[in-house]
Amino acid sequence: MKRNIFHGISVSAGIAIGRAFFLARKFPQVQAAREISPTQTGTELARLDAAFESTRREIEDAGRRIPPSLKDQTGILAAHLMICRDPKLIQAARQAVKSDFLSAEWALEKAVAAIAESFSLIEDSYIRERLQDVRAVAERIMGHLRGRLASALPPDEPFILLAHDITPADTLELSLKQIIAFATEEGSRTAHTGIMARSLQIPAVVGVGALEEAVNDGDMLVLDALEGLILVNPDQAVLSRYQTQQNKFSAFQATLRRNAKLPAEPPGGFRVAVRGNIETPDEVMAVLKAGGEGIGLYRTEYGFICRVEPPSEEDLFEEYRRLLSAAAPHKVVFRTLDVGADKMLWDQKMLEEANPALGLRGIRYCLRNQDVFRRQLRAILRASMYGNAALMFPMISGPRELRQAKAVLNEVKQELDTSKVPFDRHMPVGLMIELPAAAMTADILAREVDFFSIGTNDLIQYSIAVDRTNKHVSSLHQPLHPGIVRTIKLVVDMAHMAGVPVSICGEMASDPYCLLILLGMGIDEISMAPQAIPGIKHIIRHLDLDECTRLAREAHDAGSIQAVNRLVKLTLAQAFPDELPFYISLLDTGDFA
Amino acid sequence: MLDTSNNRFILYEPEPGVCEAQVAIADSLGLHARPAALLARAAQQFEAELFISAAGQRADAKSILDILSLSAGRGTVLSLRAEGKDCAAAVRTLAELILTRFREDEDEAASTAEEAL
Repeated sequence: MKRNIFHGISVSAGIAIGRAFFLARKFPQVQAAREISPTQTGTELARLDAAFESTRREIEDAGRRIPPSLKDQTGILAAHLMICRDPKLIQAARQAVKSDFLSAEWALEKAVAAIAESFSLIEDSYIRERLQDVRAVAERIMGHLRGRLASALPPDEPFILLAHDITPADTLELSLKQIIAFATEEGSRTAHTGIMARSLQIPAVVGVGALEEAVNDGDMLVLDALEGLILVNPDQAVLSRYQTQQNKFSAFQATLRRNAKLPAEPPGGFRVAVRGNIETPDEVMAVLKAGGEGIGLYRTEYGFICRVEPPSEEDLFEEYRRLLSAAAPHKVVFRTLDVGADKMLWDQKMLEEANPALGLRGIRYCLRNQDVFRRQLRAILRASMYGNAALMFPMISGPRELRQAKAVLNEVKQELDTSKVPFDRHMPVGLMIELPAAAMTADILAREVDFFSIGTNDLIQYSIAVDRTNKHVSSLHQPLHPGIVRTIKLVVDMAHMAGVPVSICGEMASDPYCLLILLGMGIDEISMAPQAIPGIKHIIRHLDLDECTRLAREAHDAGSIQAVNRLVKLTLAQAFPDELPFYISLLDTGDFA
Repeated sequence: MLDTSNNRFILYEPEPGVCEAQVAIADSLGLHARPAALLARAAQQFEAELFISAAGQRADAKSILDILSLSAGRGTVLSLRAEGKDCAAAVRTLAELILTRFREDEDEAASTAEEAL
């Protein structure tokens, strides 16, 4: 019996039910001869050139026919075109014909293998995965070399497109309107399929494995891109269950959109401010539209890094003024320049740090490069007249650094006063709690600031000493580790004792499970990526705060992270039995699903 | 010799027929597929040999695969070098492309990519 259930990675949320169509089933493997005689090199070179040329025309043609909904995919097509015209690839293939006397097919394979080998050494996973673009182009060239077989025609009714891998050029050969979902054998979280599916707003699952053998064209499929599942020819009971689930999902999305602007206020509880995290002033509209009450974290690095010359005070002032006016009357929290580690200014390339995450970054960089820091502070202060501004310092390790940073701020204020430049004298000043040392001194720090913002991503990294992008240790990145829960609790209690509000701006805030614990500890504000706001506000509006408080206490004293994860999962599943499957979580829910 | 007409990067001409400039990558993803495609395409329009170097590694600017293999991220300083009679125009075109057209403005990028097709 064939397999009838497949697991993959969801890259675009939703559920689709429909007939399968497999794109470009493999050509029957007519094996080309490997060796050629020296007299054949001319013919083989001509075949090779013709196949490159046909592929180039094919891609150009696809580019001209691209529909408006896929306009942003032209970039990938342009990349494919340039790969097809790549002098290195062409040279390597031709060379293999001329010197190694290989047939055109084998020469192409040899050239691609050489590229694959050099790409395998690249550390950056995004770039390394671009090898799939090289392979996709090579596959097309190979198709022309072999004399492409007419592929089966897709059905007339809507269908689920299955493929080894999908490129935009592939989808153009089909009618996009008929495609209701994608599933691919290959691919990862960063695959183009995901980008494409999200822009078409259809569900997609990638990295599914051997579909071609197991699925026939016309088979009935359920593609569940919430759970990353594909079911082949399910029975009627399963089918109707998924139909119900699908309707609920659409209805839920509609509800979220409709209710986005309602306040995040649990029954009988206090109002939790939900704001957005952004990098450029343009994103403020997305936050307000999603129901965000202003900006909880404005990452100011963008204005510095996207230039060759450091920005002038006027450049920064203009950027900040624009942001504050657009967000007004809502608050905008500026995080002062946080470069170092994964974000570098051009002159930082000079620093050879063995351990950049523990190096000259955040406030350390600013205190060492005060001209840049002062310029930014002046720009923020001047812009504060145009809206509701607050400012916070990143990577503060204790009272001394905070005082140094505040001293610089006060000097800048005095300069502005002397030159009679107006600024908001009551602009709140806070700090990011990201380092365990700052958390442990929260009571001292709280006396000297107006608010705290906990950056949970870095707090977890520095507390557990784990880099979550490192696959060898990423499973140790546990937001609900009692060590993390206790640290946050300590900070919140110390802050509240001093009358200082606490916000959370890391990814924990947009995780439905972690949210329960955070609210249970009395967090005042949360901020997150704009698209997460409506869903999180929905949960907050329907939470039982007493239950959250109880859970937070359990998490605080838990002997096992798994037990805490299980507990929050069960609690949330009881409160939101229908909606919960529509959320994505940071927690490893696999082991207790 | 110094070109002072453009304040965003400086074009050097260390010897006749050779031009150089340094620019930092503005795009948040660095030299990923789309910018690399645009660069290679622009480079192919010039007669001069064009090279892009980063962190001691040198790539043929006319080869998208070579450019990608630099795996240069945001903020990386790139050295451009052209050898040939249209070297100044070649370096200036590439430098401006890196500085102005890799912004995360999707529409603009899409239409630029469309031109490339």
